[in-house]
Amino acid sequence: MNPREEKVKIITEEFIENDEDADMERQKKNSKVRRQPRKKQPPTTVPEEMVSEKSHLGNQQEPVQEEPKTYLLSMTARRGPRSLPPIPSTSRTGFAEFSMRGRMREKLQAARSKAESALLQEMPTPRPRRLRSPSKKELETEFGTEPGKKVESTQQEIDSQSHSRVKFRDSARKIKPKPQVPPGFPSAEEAYNFFTFNFDPEPEDSEKKTKASHREGTNQEEEEGEEEEPPAQGGGKETDEEELLNGDDAEDFLLGLDHMVDDFIAVRPADYESIHDRLQMEREMLFIPSRQAVPTYKKLPENVQPRFLEDEGLYTGVRPEVSRTNQNIMENRLLVQDPERRWFGDDGRILALPNPIKPFPSRPPVETQELSIKGELETMYKKAVKYVHSSQHMIRSGDPPGNFQLDIDISGLLFTHHPCFSREHVLAAKLAQLYDQYLARHQRNKAKFLTDKLQALRNAVQTGLDSEKPHQSPDTIQKTINDYKSEIRQTRKLRDAEQEKDRTLLKTIIKVWKEMKSLREFQRFTNTPLKLVLRKEKVDQKADEEAYEAEIQVEISELLEEHTEEYAQKMEEYRTSLQQWKAWRKAQKAKKKKRKQAAEEHPYDETEEPYPEEDLVKPIPPEPTDRAVIEQEVRERATQSRRRPGEPMLVPELSLAGSITPNNQCPRAEVLRREDVKKRSLYLKVLFNNKEVSRTVTRPLGADFRVHFGQIFNLQIVNWPESLALQVYETIGHSGPTLLAEVFLPIPETTVFTGRAPIEEMEFSSNQHVTLDHEGVGSGVPFSFEADGSNQLILMTSGKVSHSVAWAIGENGIPLIPPLSQQNIGFRSALKRADAISSIGTSGLTDMKKLAKWAAESKLDPNDPNNAPLMQLISVATSGESYVPDFFRLEQLQQEFNFVSDQELNRSKRFRLLLLRSQEVPEFRNYKQIPVYDREIMEKVFQDYEKRLRDRNVIETKEHIDTHRAIVAKYLQQVRESVINRFLIAKQYFLLADMIVEEEVPNISSEGSGILGLSLFKLAEQKRPLRPRRKGRKKVTAQNLSDGDIKLLVNIVRAYDIPVRKPAVSKFQQPSRSSRMFSEKHAASPSTHSPNHNADYPLGQVLVRPFVEVSFQRTVCHTTTAEGPNPSWNEELELPFRAPNGDYSTASLQSVKDVVFINIFDEVLHDVLEDDRERGSGIHTRIERHWLGCVKIPFSTIYFQARIDGTFKIDIPPVLLGYSKERNMILERGFDSVRNLSEGSYITLFITIEPQLVPGESVQEKFESQEDEKLLQASEKFQAECAFKFPNRQCLTTVIDINGKTVFITRYLKPLNPPEELLSVYPNNLQATAELVARYVSLIPFLPDTVSFAGICDLWSTSDQFLDLLAGDEEEHAVLLCNYFLSLGKKAWLVMGNAIPEGPTAYVLTWEQGHYLIWNPCSGHFYGQFDTFCPLKNVGCLIGPDNIWFNIQRYDSPLRINFDVTKPKLWKSFFSRSLPYPGLSSVQPEELIYQRSDKAAAAELQDRLEKILKEKIMDWRPRHLTRWNRYCTSTLRHFLPLLEKSQGDDVEDDHRAELLKQLGDYRFSGFPLHMPYSEVKPLIDAVYSTGVHNIDVPNVEFALAVYIHPYPKNVLSVWIYVASLIRNR
Amino acid sequence: MTTASPSVFLLMVNGQVESAQFPEYDDLYCKYCFVYGQDWAPTAGLEEGISQITSKSQDVRQALVWNFPIDVTFKSTNPYGWPQIVLSVYGPDVFGNDVVRGYGAVHVPFSPGRHKRTIPMFVPESTSKLQKFTSWFMGRRPEYTDPKVVAQGEGREDAETEIPRSTWVCLCPNPAWLMLPFCPQ
Repeated sequence: MNPREEKVKIITEEFIENDEDADMERQKKNSKVRRQPRKKQPPTTVPEEMVSEKSHLGNQQEPVQEEPKTYLLSMTARRGPRSLPPIPSTSRTGFAEFSMRGRMREKLQAARSKAESALLQEMPTPRPRRLRSPSKKELETEFGTEPGKKVESTQQEIDSQSHSRVKFRDSARKIKPKPQVPPGFPSAEEAYNFFTFNFDPEPEDSEKKTKASHREGTNQEEEEGEEEEPPAQGGGKETDEEELLNGDDAEDFLLGLDHMVDDFIAVRPADYESIHDRLQMEREMLFIPSRQAVPTYKKLPENVQPRFLEDEGLYTGVRPEVSRTNQNIMENRLLVQDPERRWFGDDGRILALPNPIKPFPSRPPVETQELSIKGELETMYKKAVKYVHSSQHMIRSGDPPGNFQLDIDISGLLFTHHPCFSREHVLAAKLAQLYDQYLARHQRNKAKFLTDKLQALRNAVQTGLDSEKPHQSPDTIQKTINDYKSEIRQTRKLRDAEQEKDRTLLKTIIKVWKEMKSLREFQRFTNTPLKLVLRKEKVDQKADEEAYEAEIQVEISELLEEHTEEYAQKMEEYRTSLQQWKAWRKAQKAKKKKRKQAAEEHPYDETEEPYPEEDLVKPIPPEPTDRAVIEQEVRERATQSRRRPGEPMLVPELSLAGSITPNNQCPRAEVLRREDVKKRSLYLKVLFNNKEVSRTVTRPLGADFRVHFGQIFNLQIVNWPESLALQVYETIGHSGPTLLAEVFLPIPETTVFTGRAPIEEMEFSSNQHVTLDHEGVGSGVPFSFEADGSNQLILMTSGKVSHSVAWAIGENGIPLIPPLSQQNIGFRSALKRADAISSIGTSGLTDMKKLAKWAAESKLDPNDPNNAPLMQLISVATSGESYVPDFFRLEQLQQEFNFVSDQELNRSKRFRLLLLRSQEVPEFRNYKQIPVYDREIMEKVFQDYEKRLRDRNVIETKEHIDTHRAIVAKYLQQVRESVINRFLIAKQYFLLADMIVEEEVPNISSEGSGILGLSLFKLAEQKRPLRPRRKGRKKVTAQNLSDGDIKLLVNIVRAYDIPVRKPAVSKFQQPSRSSRMFSEKHAASPSTHSPNHNADYPLGQVLVRPFVEVSFQRTVCHTTTAEGPNPSWNEELELPFRAPNGDYSTASLQSVKDVVFINIFDEVLHDVLEDDRERGSGIHTRIERHWLGCVKIPFSTIYFQARIDGTFKIDIPPVLLGYSKERNMILERGFDSVRNLSEGSYITLFITIEPQLVPGESVQEKFESQEDEKLLQASEKFQAECAFKFPNRQCLTTVIDINGKTVFITRYLKPLNPPEELLSVYPNNLQATAELVARYVSLIPFLPDTVSFAGICDLWSTSDQFLDLLAGDEEEHAVLLCNYFLSLGKKAWLVMGNAIPEGPTAYVLTWEQGHYLIWNPCSGHFYGQFDTFCPLKNVGCLIGPDNIWFNIQRYDSPLRINFDVTKPKLWKSFFSRSLPYPGLSSVQPEELIYQRSDKAAAAELQDRLEKILKEKIMDWRPRHLTRWNRYCTSTLRHFLPLLEKSQGDDVEDDHRAELLKQLGDYRFSGFPLHMPYSEVKPLIDAVYSTGVHNIDVPNVEFALAVYIHPYPKNVLSVWIYVASLIRNR
Repeated sequence: MTTASPSVFLLMVNGQVESAQFPEYDDLYCKYCFVYGQDWAPTAGLEEGISQITSKSQDVRQALVWNFPIDVTFKSTNPYGWPQIVLSVYGPDVFGNDVVRGYGAVHVPFSPGRHKRTIPMFVPESTSKLQKFTSWFMGRRPEYTDPKVVAQGEGREDAETEIPRSTWVCLCPNPAWLMLPFCPQ
């Protein structure tokens, strides 16, 4: 209840207030009524008005109001009674009812019918309000109206609407006529209105209203009570009310309108103003500025010419862009609005500041990424930093805090012109100025000095002429005299000029003084104390005259001399020119003669002009003789510029001794002037860095226009001063000061200290225009001394400030000057701040000249204040005043931080080691734990490295034995280095996959992982399926590996057709063997063992007990021993892998040259029992192992293939003594398509590396190419198409040659001649020749590109390069072989495909009668198309000399495909009808040239090799004696050439027989090894891997023979026969 | 290549992986290992370790407390390559797969005394939204091939040229912190 109550109270209070007004109104009655009407009652139709405003006619109003009251009561039963009170307070509440009524009218109408019933109910309710009334009253009395108002304001939110209405009501009420006062009746009605008014606007409040209305009822009562109070305050209030009224006018007006619309329906014709009228009206009211350009004269004050500051060289800046029309409109508007033209500048344009828009953003661009925006918005808190000083030239923090002091002594001010100058003053000032000038000149006395000099010079000339001989040669003397003379001339001229100036100055002084005197006389008073006295100094007339005359004479003579010289010179000139002319003339005449007469005139005219004839006449006149003329001239000049002889010397003396006419004797104008002067006073402001720091006292202007200040300002400064200025202010009387002028003072040198600084005068001037109404001449205003006003003068206010500026000296005598570093004022220090380098002593600005040039070129505006420091810098720099170092220092602090000298540092071994390691020098790349101290580093650390560096250019023959290969090795080394450099970038090339393991996005197209759904389906799979599938292993990048992490896994599964032992042979058994062989030749089943052999063995051993030994990097592992020629081991061997130098980077791994040797041995048990008798009690056997064959797999192949899985042919020596292949019986080799499967022995292997290493990706780099662009595009397209269809098939169109250029592949194929030597062997047997050629090719050593060129980049060398290098991989071999076959007339192609174990490789395909043969170029073997043991497993494409065919058959195994390239459905050809073969020239040479092999060199090499190998074998047997059986060796040596000749075929039996014959007593085990020759090391390794040396039988003997067969082009076939012999007992 | 007893200096690190704040995850365990330069070699102690699984504490801190001790001694001849400890935190996801929850690395303090290090943890983001989803679904979040790459700089700068930058935004999914007091002596 409480809040509500309060609210109601407030309302009532307001009402009360209004009521009081109403009271007054009542008293005023009619008078008020009259006042009101102006508000809103246009004299419209009467009746309606009456209804709306009862104020008009009391009589009418009464009944109307009566009615509403009753209706309302009927509406809300309770309300009615409360509002009823019939007490005559009506007028009070009136305001409320008025506002109400406007609102409520319609509702009232509707409620009318119920009014009567409401009336009845009125009666019973008075009581409650009575109860409340006392409290109300209290409130009222206590707070009066004021508090009520306050509260009202708070309440405004609730019923602001009603309040406003209350206000109009207020005013409206005043209209109310008083007659209606009669108590009771109207009051009730008003009360009713009041209620309705209050609540109606907020319909939702209806409930409240009912409650509130209750209250209001009580209010009503109070009002009643109040009513009785005498309206004492009334008079005062009324006036207020009146004001209020005015303020409310507008609202009333609105209200009135409201009424009109609602209540007064006046039908009137629609208002229409004709468009013309409207326009007319608008024209009167509106101003539309014209768009026409405003002529300049309108914008400027009359008679003022536009002034273009920019043209005058002042900086104006760039005006902002405004369109011309807009400017015009604005100008027009301004012209009308502002007739004073303040908005226009001197140039007639609108004043504008320079364009404020910067051409570049000053805020760094915000990146548009989401994240960065977030980052941008993040608040960063920084610790508050004490801001030191705003100026950029402040003293650095390192400097002592500045307590520097600048003393500025301002002693006084003197006006050289002032508006208050009288004419006399003007003259006086002029006089004073002239006198000053005179004094200055007098002091210097230049004329005298020059005269003396002249005299001295003359004397010198004189003496020089007289006494020339003694010292110098006449030449030099002549020269000096000439010099003197010319100097005399010069000096004389100068002296004359000086003298003239002196004289004119004197004259002017006198003239001015005369003027002044006349002026004084004229105006009859004196203003200035100036007085000029001319003192005459008497001179000795005679001496003076003499001197004068002498001077003239001397001068004349000199001039004469001069003239004669000149004359002579001219004569000379004349003569030469005359001669020339004559010669020319002659020539001309000759020409003329030749020419025809008609042409004569024309050339003649031409010649006329250059005639020197006139010149010719001139020099002749007797000038030298005419002394009189010269004398005349000289005298004239003398009289002008010199004092006449005898004339007294005039010395002007200016004094201030004159008296000034006192005021009372002066005319009024002058008195006014003097008074004006007295009124004026001046003071100066001292500005330091454009800030006012102090000002002088105000001093009155003296009558002599001097102001004396005599003040010294001590400026305590911190900053190096930028500018120092004084501002002169003048005050006239009591008005404010006006700035007269600004004087800039120079900043003193650091050497200028207080006390020693001279007083200096700085001139200033002001451009103010002052016209005065008294004698003062004004300033900037023309005036004249003449009566007629001619000869006008315009003088501007100007004057001098005498001051001194100096640095103060501190108490202890230290000058208080900012430190020296700051001395380079302005630009230097400014730049230093900006330039970090300059702040430490050197300047970052290297070339000032260039800077200046740049500034000139870029047309910097020199007036732009922004460029000021730069311009200053340039001007200083170019003038050479500033010291700019002509060097630029990098790392200027390096010196300080060098803790040791460079030499010493370089000597440090540790430093060197660190350096080499960081440079990734191979030897040191993985050096661990570099020792701390130099002394701990051994010299030998560097030895290898240094040796390598040394040897880089030395061909090392020790390793290579024959020189050619050494050269090749060196060449290879160079190529390798260049390639390494090219691929260096690719190093450390990490992919995302190298760093992050991430599941691949499920691919819809791939079958394996399938659609997302499928892979989801996989989730439901069993965790441990019954039949597990092989999962791909995790690949490991090489970066985090170390020793021991990598293992080579070799899984040896089984072998086929291992050679079996022959029964222990004896001489006698030999025939039987051959017969057996014959019988076995046709054995049908290859797998059948021959049990009959068992019988031959004494111990009942099986045919063979093979085991496999794998050696890699000198680690050896072997399997268990199996039995029989087709053993099955199924064993996994694990070999550790060590990378060279511990470097496991990809590049290093792929260049590992190590080879995995898989050797098959036969384990032989020998009974060593000496005595048969012991056989029963013990077994004494010795195990021997006999090498049967090997498989070699380079590590690089494993590395790139990741795993090697397959069956490989075992490399079995052609002769294996004591063993035989069981079914080695095929007689017809080669071209039989059904070759026996069992030829050779085979082993099934699985090799891999654990963990799986990721081979480096080949660099997809575009190489430059000389191929046709079209061809390249076509090849790219072709490859893309092929890769799309069969991504696994190799397709090659372009390759990279050894120079790193892309070459089309077919260019490599071209028939090339094989060596003659080979062709002549089997002249008739093409097939044999082909085999021989293949063998020749296979003898060229194999060296993978990855090994030679440490990058994954397949370089193809041409065949001649290949033969020169004598090393290459499959491609080179294949290309060469293919070319040979082509030249032999075969149909041959290059086959690109995959083979085991090489992986992607190249083979050669040939077409023989009816079938295809596949050649392995590296081994020289050939296979039929349907040979299951063919290592080529799939075929990607075929390459012929003129086309490329891509295999688009379903299968790619050579067994299952058709090699007929003519079928386009099977083979997609590169060149087709749409792209015909353009006839590409080959990159191969025309012909291969073969040197005859050097047999002597081969023999030499053979001997050395044998020696080396023997030594090695002895080295490998350190614990045993190694005996060499020389006899056997020589036998073997003889045997080897035979092997070479027959290529290992069919010699075994003979050989065996031979051996047996010779070594009958020995048990013999041995074999010949055959290899192509590249280096010694592989040979040694091969011998080592056979394990011959491992026999430790005490009486073993060895035999070793080497045979090297040279082929053309230094291709060497090496045979090594190793054997061990044990003497049989 | 050096004399019999080359001069070395020793760095002994005692400490523990104290606790972690992973507001979103629970039941985490932590692995640590050290990354150091060529001139460094561990002489004693364990170079790597794997902690027990811990659950969140029930108090307001919600800390995952391991108190997993570290004790290792290095010898070296060169401060270059000062050891860094690399921590990786793993925990089960909704499907029960162990996934990585954070990687972090910090240098072993350079000065002796007791130090406490707080390491912000991060995980690599999937390269695409789809992958993000699938990796979440399959429980195979992207992770580093080797946690040690966190402490190595090589490859990152180059990788940026190869891979869209966004893939390298390693988002810290939540403010995850590990506390690691050290006592190098």
